[in-house]
Amino acid sequence: MAGIAGTVTRVAGVLLTAFFFGLTFEGFGRKIAARIQKRYGPPWYQNFIDVFKTLTKHGWTHGWIFDFGVLMALGGVIATLSFVPLGNLVAFPGLDNFFVIAYLFTVGALGMAMGMVGTGNPWASIGVARALTLMLGYEVPYLIVITALMFYYKTGNISDIIVAQAQSGGWNIVKFPIGALVALISLQGMLGKEPFEAPIAPAEIASGPMVELSAKYMGLLMLMNTFMEFVEISLFVDFFLGGGTYFVFLLKYFIVWTFAVMVSTVLPRFRIEQAVSFYWTVPILLAFLQAFFVVNGWVF
Amino acid sequence: MQSLILYLGIGALVGYFLSKINKHLGPIVLFVLSIYALYVVWQMPTGTNEALFGFGDVLRFTALSKYLSIISLIVFASFGFFNIAWISKAKRPAAFNALSILTLLGTLGVFFSSHFIVLYIFWEIAVLASLFIVPMGKEESKKATVWYIVISSIGTYLFLYGIFMLYSKYSTFDIFEIGKYIQNETVGFKWAVVLLLLAAGIAKSGIFPLHVWLRNVHGNAPDTFSAVLSGQLVKMGSYLIALVLSVFPIANMFAEFYNGVNILSYVLIWLGNISILIGTLMAIKQNDMKMLIAYSTVANGGYILIGLATLHQVGYAGGLFHIINHALAATMIFLSFAAVVYRTGTTKIDELGGLIHRMPVTFVTYLVGIISLAGIPPTSGFISKWMIFQSLVSKGMFVTEMFVFIGSIGSFLYVFRPLAGVFLGQLKNKDKNVKEAPGVMQIPMIILTALTVLWGVFPQQVLVWITDVQKEFGMKSFEFEGTVLKTSMGYWDTWTVFVMFAVGFTIAAVIYILMPKGKKIPLEDQYTSGEFLHNYDLYHYATKFYVFLEREYEGHPSFEDWYLAIVNAMKGIGKFIDYLARRTASAYLFWTAVVLALIMWVRW
Repeated sequence: MAGIAGTVTRVAGVLLTAFFFGLTFEGFGRKIAARIQKRYGPPWYQNFIDVFKTLTKHGWTHGWIFDFGVLMALGGVIATLSFVPLGNLVAFPGLDNFFVIAYLFTVGALGMAMGMVGTGNPWASIGVARALTLMLGYEVPYLIVITALMFYYKTGNISDIIVAQAQSGGWNIVKFPIGALVALISLQGMLGKEPFEAPIAPAEIASGPMVELSAKYMGLLMLMNTFMEFVEISLFVDFFLGGGTYFVFLLKYFIVWTFAVMVSTVLPRFRIEQAVSFYWTVPILLAFLQAFFVVNGWVF
Repeated sequence: MQSLILYLGIGALVGYFLSKINKHLGPIVLFVLSIYALYVVWQMPTGTNEALFGFGDVLRFTALSKYLSIISLIVFASFGFFNIAWISKAKRPAAFNALSILTLLGTLGVFFSSHFIVLYIFWEIAVLASLFIVPMGKEESKKATVWYIVISSIGTYLFLYGIFMLYSKYSTFDIFEIGKYIQNETVGFKWAVVLLLLAAGIAKSGIFPLHVWLRNVHGNAPDTFSAVLSGQLVKMGSYLIALVLSVFPIANMFAEFYNGVNILSYVLIWLGNISILIGTLMAIKQNDMKMLIAYSTVANGGYILIGLATLHQVGYAGGLFHIINHALAATMIFLSFAAVVYRTGTTKIDELGGLIHRMPVTFVTYLVGIISLAGIPPTSGFISKWMIFQSLVSKGMFVTEMFVFIGSIGSFLYVFRPLAGVFLGQLKNKDKNVKEAPGVMQIPMIILTALTVLWGVFPQQVLVWITDVQKEFGMKSFEFEGTVLKTSMGYWDTWTVFVMFAVGFTIAAVIYILMPKGKKIPLEDQYTSGEFLHNYDLYHYATKFYVFLEREYEGHPSFEDWYLAIVNAMKGIGKFIDYLARRTASAYLFWTAVVLALIMWVRW
């Protein structure tokens, strides 16, 4: 029983961390973006207000698949998040295999896509079609880089890679600089931030998948979005910045997040086909270069 | 085994005459026979030899036969049950039933035989029986049959040539006998024989460059039979590939090429890579939902081939596991399409929409089918993909990984198209009165859905079958303990993942229930950018769903066109010969000229 109680505590710890710090950092991100654009910006706790306010309103639903899709989206992402190591906070030690996390992640994405297309609004369908296409772009170079890491360390477990970084004393961003660059470019696409913002594109396709959301549906998907960001950035911190203890991890997280926000505020939007053909030329070649280095043992 | 084959033969006849009395009786015969056969096969001990009609020891029941037979019988049992209702739409119900049972007989025979000639005969029975079913489908299906027979015979004739090459050397047709000697042959002979034998499997499982028949045949065959074609007959090819790769000591026969992968495996893996790329990119483009899944069969055939060809403890097991996953997923998807066509009469994605509000069970079947096909946990489809990924990563095969990842992420794209186009969105006006598929059709769909999730959470039973195969061929077998699957690169626990998924869903549901209830509004009531809409049939976004991606590879070369060009060239030669043999003035003139020229040249 002690084992189960420990696991439950750790899962709760991971989820609450993602909830509080995810929303807080999003608030900071809005503030930073505002300052770059010479605005004052909302307070840092604005995202908490947004989530609680939307959750308590009366909204509209478009039938059972819409409701089910929203639940599947949040449920899938919560399940994914519970397997992601936050530095040394690992809810399920030994069960943090990268492929399991990467594919569990798609449950949430599929749920969201299904629910939103279930509204019958063509803007939502266009947004989802673009999101999936973009995924075909950023996932392939990203997966090649991560598998190169896995090949080098001979393990698919994320916490083993964190431990190996701590033991050798060097972060992977130093050992695999090209791979880290590719992962950073892919991260921008995963987060759906400029220049890879075509799936959302508020001014062009009315926020794409989110077009028909109201009240608690919006609130639940805002939570889902926060958790998704948390998974994506945590993976980057774990793989390339050496994880670290709880607060060190959060600090690294905040730096990566701020960097992504700053990049997104100064760049315009790629068209979807430009984004895909970009991912299919520069990052994929760099990813193969990194893999080539790893196979030949050229690691710093 | 002999008695089973006999019963099926008799069953085909009985089924034919019973169908003449009442067409719903035939599928019942098929269903009962497949359930009986499933029971027999499940219980039969492996490693037994048997005679067939007096010919000694030509049948051998291996662990691989057992695994593949069980898969086939599950597919056929669901197909038979589904047909009890669907058969009223069939063009020739009696022949359809009899030939379906014969197809089952042929494939089971293939799985049972240890003698190359017997295997070849059963193979042709399966191909011929299915060959006559295909033209009972859509209008273009007669043309599709030609594709089927031509590609299939290219494969089988090469196979037959390979057998005779072996026979001239060893004067035996026994697969296991030959496997013992072949290692010491010359390099050229080994390459020739193995490639010739594999050709039949490659043609049948739709691997590049012999993949072109799948789109035509699966797309145009009778709706439920596509499930058998994609879920079961294609697996006959995978069986042959698995058999050749495991009975022959491939790793000792061919030189090592890269990180413990031999050169033949590498060639096969590359064929698999190209199949995945072609299957995925072409599936994204299709507007016909059956053709879309036909191309996905090409891609998944590639996965199976890559998994098997690694001959790796984890990869080979992953390839075998992928056979059962794809069989179940393809059957579920094609049966749900059959139900859609049964009610609406079209397979074009952009002519449909919103069927979820009328056919929820069909929708759920399709949904679970695609989740498994795309390899998303907690269905069984993820387990095999995970195994294949792990083995590729452990060998550091990064280029192959690229194709595998494209296929995997591309599969999210193409499976989403029918989901969005057919089931979600606004219901078309013409489909307002559509009803859910009959109960008889729903039962096999629900059972298959349950099996897919069950084996995704508790894969032990399937893994036992797979490790039995690996032990039988003397490979290191895949390690697992309860629901924990282990590889050298780490492990995962299907049960924990499922529990966490349930927990996540519960948390979301609790928040959902605690918060104020949403008001239900129709799909017509939504944000339209200020436009006032009259025709919601046009509002559903289903045509050219991924047009921005398709534009990126518009002018791609097409193997189908190249083959058609060869066909045209052959036709041209035929026309010329025809022209010369005709009794027309110009032909006489031509021959006179030729004869005169000859006389002049010889100077008689």
